[in-house]
Amino acid sequence: MKFRLIYPKWEKLEGQTIFNLPPHGPVVFAAALPEYVNIEFTDENVDTISFDDDADFIGISMMLTGQIKRGWQIADEFRKRGKKVIFGGISTMLHAEETMEHADSIFLGEAEGRLEQVFSDFRNGKLQKVYNFLNQMPDINLIGPARRSILKKELYYHKGVRMVDLFHASRGCKYNCYPCAVAYLGGKCFRPRPIDKVVEELATIDNNRLFIVDNSLAQDKQWEKDLFREMIPFKKKWCSHPIEDDDEVLDLAAQAGAWFVYQAVFDTSDYIRNRVKRYHDHGIAVEGTILLGTDDHTEDDIKRLIDFLLEINLDLAEFTVLTPFPHTKAYDDMLRQNRIIDHDWNNYNAGKVVIQPKQMTPEKLQELYYYAWDTFYKEETQTEKMFKLFQQVIMKEIADGTYTRVRKDLSKNSFGKQVIRNANNS
Amino acid sequence: MIKQFNKEINSDYFEEVYDFNGLWDVASRCGLKIVQKNDKTIVIATELYAENPGTSVTNFSAQLAGIIIRKYNIAHENLIFIVHDPEAKSKLTFMNEHFYQVDFDWDGTKFMSPKWSQIEKNTVDDLIKA
Repeated sequence: MKFRLIYPKWEKLEGQTIFNLPPHGPVVFAAALPEYVNIEFTDENVDTISFDDDADFIGISMMLTGQIKRGWQIADEFRKRGKKVIFGGISTMLHAEETMEHADSIFLGEAEGRLEQVFSDFRNGKLQKVYNFLNQMPDINLIGPARRSILKKELYYHKGVRMVDLFHASRGCKYNCYPCAVAYLGGKCFRPRPIDKVVEELATIDNNRLFIVDNSLAQDKQWEKDLFREMIPFKKKWCSHPIEDDDEVLDLAAQAGAWFVYQAVFDTSDYIRNRVKRYHDHGIAVEGTILLGTDDHTEDDIKRLIDFLLEINLDLAEFTVLTPFPHTKAYDDMLRQNRIIDHDWNNYNAGKVVIQPKQMTPEKLQELYYYAWDTFYKEETQTEKMFKLFQQVIMKEIADGTYTRVRKDLSKNSFGKQVIRNANNS
Repeated sequence: MIKQFNKEINSDYFEEVYDFNGLWDVASRCGLKIVQKNDKTIVIATELYAENPGTSVTNFSAQLAGIIIRKYNIAHENLIFIVHDPEAKSKLTFMNEHFYQVDFDWDGTKFMSPKWSQIEKNTVDDLIKA
């Protein structure tokens, strides 16, 4: 049976460097498929969908709220042609009721151990409208290596440089952060994968550069230390979300190849200053993730925060505006206070203001969002700062003997498309 | 103060843990206090964000209010439904304690179209202690 899995495209944030990373959800899902399913995958961000596909069954995997309207359009097109369509992924879980209107079936929850039933039902003409496994977490031991062979690898190169591969070592999150829906999606309990399973998966990945996509690695110190110790021999270089603020852990992380971390910077405190310094002391770079427009933010606060980011020498910064994604406290607050001003899910990309901020107008917050990007990257562009980080990783790889040269046959391509080089565009 | 959760929750507004099946039948929980005042029944449902594995009270207000009036035999027209966000011991003001009174339309069988109005703690105190 041929199953076509599609990952819908979404509108990228204006002005930002575009990098298309190989998606993670689809390759994890694919690993859980029954053997008789012949899967073919299309990532619409880098590839084209053929609606005259001869696939028996269509799957649409959605991670971001910004993907869902496109996902619905794709489903509508296939269903017009008589194909059955099933949706899954975390955005399907966040927008389940609306998505049902465009689906023959929706799958809610984690896939391991559950797909035999879905595909058996499909083959027997008994596909259910909903497969609801919300909050019923599968045995963590069932999570095997992701099936990255479904990806067309050549599409994830920019000018011959391969993008990082995505990888996960745990699920769930014990934190319950204000703008985040992870606790609803992955459960409020941290579920680390057994280290031997993680090692088994790492051994299957031919890419030396990884993005460990776990919500936060700083949830179980002993597991974190065990993980990093086992990662050291692989000599991978990786970025991740926060790492425990502990000298021994940071030291092990650096030995295991920590390249840079995403660290939330929410104020101008010494705590943040020292947190960033400690990463740097261990040779780990920091990309600050900065949320603008909380109820406590005034215009002055935001400007002061941006000055602070420059002062503490953040390597990179990513700015977002408070966006009320469903199943977050932020959503509940905005809903109850009647402060949601834009209900178009395409605009929920964290770069467009969709709420009435408490301390300023929406227009002012939007202006400050652009001000933040422009000011932080005024002296050195985002691309230049990224290049610096990239040089660091190359130096480390050369020292490790793991460096591989850029692919010359793809040096004129960017994510599957030809790019024109000229004197101003290197 | 009730300390069975990560947060200390003011027992003036919290009497029991109430388990319910939220959206998509997901096991969910809130704090619950029911106070009878004259012909009105005041229901305070406390959000337990960190300890609630499923749907928030806010996301399920109309359905939850319906479940509660059936379970406790409350006349729909006598219900005063209040959502309570407990103090989260944070320096962030949006994590402070908040109260919202929720008004619903009644279609003859169920509540619909919740509308939230933020109310002061004093107002809640006046309602339940009057």
